[in-house]
Formats: sequence, structure tokens, C-alpha cells
Amino acid sequence: MELTAQALFTGLLMGGFYGLIAVGLALVFGTMKVINLAHGELVLLAAYIAYALESQTGLNPMLSLPIAMAVVIVAALVTFYLTNQIKKDRELNSLILTFGLGIVLTNGLLMVFSADIYSTQSSWFMEGVVIADSLFSMRSEMIAFIVGIAALGGLYWWLNHTWHGRAIRSVSSNRDAAKLMGMNPTKAELWSWGVAGVLAALAGVMLYVTSVIHPPVGHSLTIKAFVITVLAGMGSIPGVLVGAIMIGVIEGLTTTYFQSSLAELASMTVFLLVLLVMPSGLFGKKGAH
Amino acid sequence: MNIKFSAAFAIVMYLVIPFTLGDNNYLIGLVASALIIAGIAVAWALLGNLGGMVSFGHAAFFGVGAYTSAVLTMDHGVPVFVALVMGGIGASISSIFMMPALRLRGPYFALAILAYAEIFKILAVEATSITGGAGGLLSIPTLPVFMGIDFGTKLGGYIVILNIVCLTLITYHFIRKSTYGLALKAMHDSEMATRIVGVPATYLKIVMLLVSAFMTGSIGAFNAHYINFLEPDYAFSGSWTIFPIVAAIFGGYRTLSGPVLGALFIYLVDQLVFKSVMPQGHQLILGAMLAGMIILSPSGLLPILTKFFAPKKNIKKAEGQHA
Repeated sequence: MELTAQALFTGLLMGGFYGLIAVGLALVFGTMKVINLAHGELVLLAAYIAYALESQTGLNPMLSLPIAMAVVIVAALVTFYLTNQIKKDRELNSLILTFGLGIVLTNGLLMVFSADIYSTQSSWFMEGVVIADSLFSMRSEMIAFIVGIAALGGLYWWLNHTWHGRAIRSVSSNRDAAKLMGMNPTKAELWSWGVAGVLAALAGVMLYVTSVIHPPVGHSLTIKAFVITVLAGMGSIPGVLVGAIMIGVIEGLTTTYFQSSLAELASMTVFLLVLLVMPSGLFGKKGAH
Repeated sequence: MNIKFSAAFAIVMYLVIPFTLGDNNYLIGLVASALIIAGIAVAWALLGNLGGMVSFGHAAFFGVGAYTSAVLTMDHGVPVFVALVMGGIGASISSIFMMPALRLRGPYFALAILAYAEIFKILAVEATSITGGAGGLLSIPTLPVFMGIDFGTKLGGYIVILNIVCLTLITYHFIRKSTYGLALKAMHDSEMATRIVGVPATYLKIVMLLVSAFMTGSIGAFNAHYINFLEPDYAFSGSWTIFPIVAAIFGGYRTLSGPVLGALFIYLVDQLVFKSVMPQGHQLILGAMLAGMIILSPSGLLPILTKFFAPKKNIKKAEGQHA
């Protein structure tokens, strides 16, 4: 029983963090119907910036956030610009385009930072935190969870209560109608990519303090992010959180009761089952695609 | 692909290359590896062009084919050439598990296949009793002596993979010319309209997936016997997906010759030029080329060149060669 509670707790914490990784992809997917297969690589880019700062200056890696954000926003906007250059069959061609950009980023990181595995040097992040006398976690996991929930909450508020957020929502629900109401769809898309860049930078710095990084991680992060996005259904922020926690809990339980190498297999299987039974996701509208 | 071009291609590949490079094991091996990529690229283009399905998961078929063939020859004494076919069948069977994904449209299908590829990779690492796990399989039998010719040499392997690639091209050609090809071409324009006039769209897609998986699987099987070693990270490596996609897009995936010429060009340039310039991360250039091609000319470099060199009256014909 205690073991199950611990597994659920770890899964919940991971879920908050996974939500942070996935939500940028979901946001862009919602507004532009483009799945950014380089999203995980953008997250990883931020993680490497945190590593570079820590190894060069010895400062707390969290302080790298402004630089990471600036770089990742630029990278995201470049991706947006390139995606916008596609004239024909954008839905499929953008997949191949961003797949190519992901390869560029992964290999660029490989060239600059080599294939070595890095993690944070500061032991402060790895100290244990105990909640309710029995639930253990690393401090960094707790921080990543809180940052993830805060970012998702902030994004939810932003989408519902600000002019730009509402513009994005209107463009994602009906591009033509939004245009007729005086919205500039390209501008809304630009905003969604920019915000996705901010979220990816946050996720990347959290990734560096909670776990280990090496170039192939980017690809698995992309897969994880779209698994969660599809589970959530299109453009639903609460859906992303629920989907992310679901994946986190499944992985937590598999790791506890079987072995950690099967965790990804379990989450993939659940993803495919959901996709086949409910093609528009857990929270998507019927016939949304 | 017209007759003149096919004949020139056959003469170069079957006569010129063996006689000029045949003694140089390194170079002939390099061309054989390029042909491996070419074969997968043709299979990928078949699915993409005729079936209208973009796959990011051909590494799964490649890996399943490789392991099927390796295990059959090592543990069950199946002759190598039979095992090549069995590798293709194994990959086709694995594609049956992907069939439910055919319900999904466009990008969703592409992503589901990507997820399947991951699943197969994890299974190959975990099923240690069959695949040897991360340690890998050593001393997989080489291609045998057949009708007095030793196919176990680099040159012999080259001839075998060349034949496999030619067979895939011929199969592709006949599918395209058949009524199935016509129906698939119509489906590409409007799947809804095609369904309404009674074309079994899902059935056709299933057949395309099976055929594409079979081709890729038998090439994976060939590769296992060619290099005599397998481990999951290698057999299911993302490179088996990346290279063929770049090759097919670069050469033009709507043509027959595009993927083959694209693969020969991309692979040889990558190995001979990029790899020596930057030993680590040379796939960066591939990614950049892929991104550039999609933006500048999604139908490949070949159509631009034909447009540029061909006399004016042929242009319409070249453009009309859709699907």
C-alpha cells in the first residue's frame, strides 16, 4: 500500500513536469495545426544552456532562465517562420520540416557538447523532501512540479483573460471567422510560438535540474509531448495536465511493480489504445479532426 | 522512369560499378550500403506516394526483418536466402499490429507509427531470450555460395542488394500501372470521393502498408547477413528512418527513380564528404537539407532538374506524372 502511494505520488510529480514539456507543443498544435517535431529538441536546447551556465560560472542553473528563454524563443520563431514558408500540404510537410529541424538541433548539440551525459553538480537539488511522513521526492522534482503547475495555470489564465490569449483561442477554434472579426491570424500564431518557446525554456531548465541530459533525449521528449497532446485532445490545457499526470502515474506504477525500462512501453501502449478507441483524445470534441 | 533511363541505370549498376570498383572492398561496400538506403527509400516512397501515408517508423520494419531473419538462420537453420523472404514476411506481420492506426488521418497516422517504432525498439531490448538484448547477436551467417558464386563477399553482397532494389522498383512500377495504382491515385486526390464510387480505400492502404513493410523487412534481413551483427540500438536506429526520408524527399518521392538516385547521392556524399569534414554530428547537414527541400521544392530536386534540362514539350508530361 505504501509502495503504491509512493508510486502514485512520484507519478503525480512527474505528471506536472510532463505537462510543462507538452503544453508548448499543444499550444502550437491548437493554433496552427502544426505538430512541431522539434519541440523536444527546443526543450533540450534550454537544458544545455543551463548546463553551460552552471559549468562555466558555477551559478545556480535556474539563473540561466532568462538566457535560455531568449535563445529558445528565437529558435521557436525561426521554426515558425520556416513552417510558414510551406505552401502546399502544410499539415504533412510541416511534420517533415520540423523533423529535419529536430535532426539539425540534436546534431548541433552533439557537436558543441559531445555525446556525454550531464546532470546538475549542485547537490541541493537532489536532497530528499518528505511529505506526510511517508512520501519521498527529490527537491528538484518538487520544484519542477510546482513550476509546471504554475506555468499551466498561468497559461490557462492568459488564454482566457488577456487579449492576446483570446486571440489565440479564437484563431484556433475558427481561423476564418477570427479573421473576419479583425484578428490577425499570423500574429496570433506568432504569439503562440513565442509562448511555446517560453514554456519550452522553463521545461528545459527543469529537465536539467531533475534529470540527466544527452543529445538523444530531445527525440524522446518530443514523443512524450505529442503522446500527452493527443491524449489531451486538441487545445485543452486541463486535458494536457490530466494526460500528463496519467502518463506520469503509469510510468511510476510500471517502474515500481515491473522495471523502469518498461515504463515507456506502458505509456506508449496506453497512448495507442486511447488513440484507437477515442481518436480525438480524452478531452477533444468529437469529429475535431 | 523511361526505358532509356532504366537501361542506363542497369548498365551502370550491373556492369560499370562491379568492374571498376569490384576490387575495392571499401568502395563497393559503400555503394551497397547506399543501395540499402535506396531500397528503404523506395518502400517509404511507395507508402507515401501511392498510399498517401507519411511514415516515421520504417526503422521498425527494418529491425523486425533483421531479427526475424537472423534468429531463423541461427536457431532454426533456415537457409539464408529463404530467411531474407521470411524477414520481409516478419515485417509484414509486425505491420498488422499497426493496422488500427490506419483509422487515423494524416499527421495522426505519422505520429502513431512513430510510437509503434519506439515500442518495437523497447521490445527488442527487453526480449533478451530472442534478440540477445542490448548485448546483441554475434556471428550471424553470411550470404552463402549459390550456383558457384560466393555471395558472402562484398561484391556478392552488392549484387544481392542490387537485385533486391531492382525487384522493389519493378514491384512498385507494376502496382502503379495496375488498376490498384489508378485507385490509389484517385484516393490521393479525394479519398471521400473515391470511397463513394466503391473503391475499398482502407483495404488498399492495408495492402500498401504490407508491401512497404515487406520490402523494408527483407532489406533489413539482407543487412543482418551482410554485416553479421545485430543489436537493438543499431537495428532499430533512427538512421533507418532519417536517411530514406531525406533521400526520397531529395530525389523526389513521387517518381520511381527519385528515391534511388537520392539515396545514392545523399549516402555517398554523407559518408565521403560530410563525415570527413565533421566526424560528429554530420547528420546535421541531412536535417538542414531535408528542411530546405521541403520549403524550396517538396517534390524533390529531380523534377527541377528535368524542368531545367528537358526540352519544352516534355515539361507538361513530367508535371503530369503524379502518383
